[in-house]
Amino acid sequence: MTEPSGFFTDVTLCIGCKACEVACKQWNELPADGYGLTGNSYDNTSHLGGNTWRHVAFVEQMDRTTPADSRWMMLSDVCKHCTNAGCMEACPTGSIVRNEFGNVFVQPEICNGCGYCVPSCPFGVVAIQPQSGIAEKCTLCYDRQKDGIEPACAKSCPTDSITFGPVTELRAKAEARVEALLARGQHVEIYGTNEKMGAVGNLNAFFLLPDRPEVFNLPPDPVLPSTYQPGAYASLAAAIGVMALASYAIWRRR
Amino acid sequence: MITPDDVAASLGRNDGGFGREQTSYYDIPLLQKPHWGWEIEWYFFIGGIASGSAILSALSDVIGDPDDAPLVRLGRYAATLGAAVSGVLLIKDLGRPERFLNMMRIVKLKSPMSVGVYALTAFSTISGLMLARQARADGLLPFDPAGFVPRLPLNLAWAASAALLGSYTGVLIGATAIPVWFSGSRHIPAIFVCSATSTACAFSLAVLTIIPGTKAAALRKIERLEIAAATLELLVLRDYRARAHALGNPLFEGRIGQRLRTTTQLYGIIVPIVLNLPGALERGEHVSRTARVRTLIAAGLTLVGGLALRECLLRAGKVSAADARAYINHKELGSSSAS
Repeated sequence: MTEPSGFFTDVTLCIGCKACEVACKQWNELPADGYGLTGNSYDNTSHLGGNTWRHVAFVEQMDRTTPADSRWMMLSDVCKHCTNAGCMEACPTGSIVRNEFGNVFVQPEICNGCGYCVPSCPFGVVAIQPQSGIAEKCTLCYDRQKDGIEPACAKSCPTDSITFGPVTELRAKAEARVEALLARGQHVEIYGTNEKMGAVGNLNAFFLLPDRPEVFNLPPDPVLPSTYQPGAYASLAAAIGVMALASYAIWRRR
Repeated sequence: MITPDDVAASLGRNDGGFGREQTSYYDIPLLQKPHWGWEIEWYFFIGGIASGSAILSALSDVIGDPDDAPLVRLGRYAATLGAAVSGVLLIKDLGRPERFLNMMRIVKLKSPMSVGVYALTAFSTISGLMLARQARADGLLPFDPAGFVPRLPLNLAWAASAALLGSYTGVLIGATAIPVWFSGSRHIPAIFVCSATSTACAFSLAVLTIIPGTKAAALRKIERLEIAAATLELLVLRDYRARAHALGNPLFEGRIGQRLRTTTQLYGIIVPIVLNLPGALERGEHVSRTARVRTLIAAGLTLVGGLALRECLLRAGKVSAADARAYINHKELGSSSAS
């Protein structure tokens, strides 16, 4: 396998045009979300889901006394294509795999919609798509990559807030961008390439954030579900042991 | 609903309502909710009874005395029926039920769901063999298809698959990204083991009390085991609550917490322990009418409490998944510093 491909999404460049959301829906033929209005700034999509594989979050930080300090930030959220993917570890059918581009991919013809990947995703990304009954999420445009073209969202992004490429290249680019912004006195940090992701490891789709991750509904301390398995199996074994001893003591012939 | 007062207050804070002190994103849920519905609640319940009944049957067959024969027989029928119902419930819950066989494409020890599929498959197969053996003994079958397998290894394999079936569900929900579940990942499997044992004991006691012919000594052993299981269950539940701190709130507070404390802990565990105690301590050969009524009430309460436990746990998972702040701050909320 060659080096994994991924996304680098730079919040400081996003203008909230939602071209990525629309391009993703069109290319992947995903159903519309309806016309509901949430009242949460311009965000009427709210969250990633089975039908929404790119979602633009709008964060308003208004300052009445010094309006120039106000910020209006947009972040185009997407599947993180984790190094240690909770969904992939949970999948009992082997439907969720890492494909030849190093992306976490749900094979639609294999998934039977058991739904165990859904509570196992540390970022709340993958979900059961109601029409197909299977788990669906960003494929990192597997079909487009096979033809050597970039994913629809990155292609449509007018400001290059979303960039696509080999992850090492993207990381170098992100680090240079952080340095440039820090030099200008703007505090930014990378979400998804540092040690903060814990057992989940580096994210192959990562972000440049001008504020704390939770402001954009990204978890500061994502958990990898399988790290709880040793404790859970120990609890299981201990309880079975106690019950076995108790029943033996009660049943044995006196 | 945003009132003019809220707007004025937010302007007073200089944060326009969203503010620099922002700690979440409009409180929109960060995690996806598990889609599991009533099928899985009943599967956890019925699978637990089936696994416990199989263990009681295997135990009585291997080290029991002739008085335990009705329990051996009941477990074989109940386990097979329970396994069949479990399979149907699980398949019905799939998004694409016609693809249920895809579960058997691979064996994946890393996935508790895959472990569970093979536990259920092994359990169903061996339960079927045990049912055939019982049907042969009852004169319903002309031969025993597993006749060449000796009693001890077959019973041991059956008990092992049953023990895994009754408990893997605890690992399944404990090892997820849902705060209320992972904060109890060291407790939920033990709770399920205890509850599978106590509900199976209650089910067996109810059936063997209604259908006469079981000796008092055999019934008393089941009552004793039920008391042991229920006591341990109560202790582990209390420890879960103490160690989960604020992350346990969806399960231990509010309406779900109220239900867990009354239907499961008080009426489903403590009251049955008290009701079963006189019978378990008695030694005589005779079972009085009041004792039978007491046993039946205790069994009914235990079964209702066991179902309520699973409903509370699964529903608390959905509440917890919707609480973005709990997940964002799980390190702080799950420790003793805040609760």
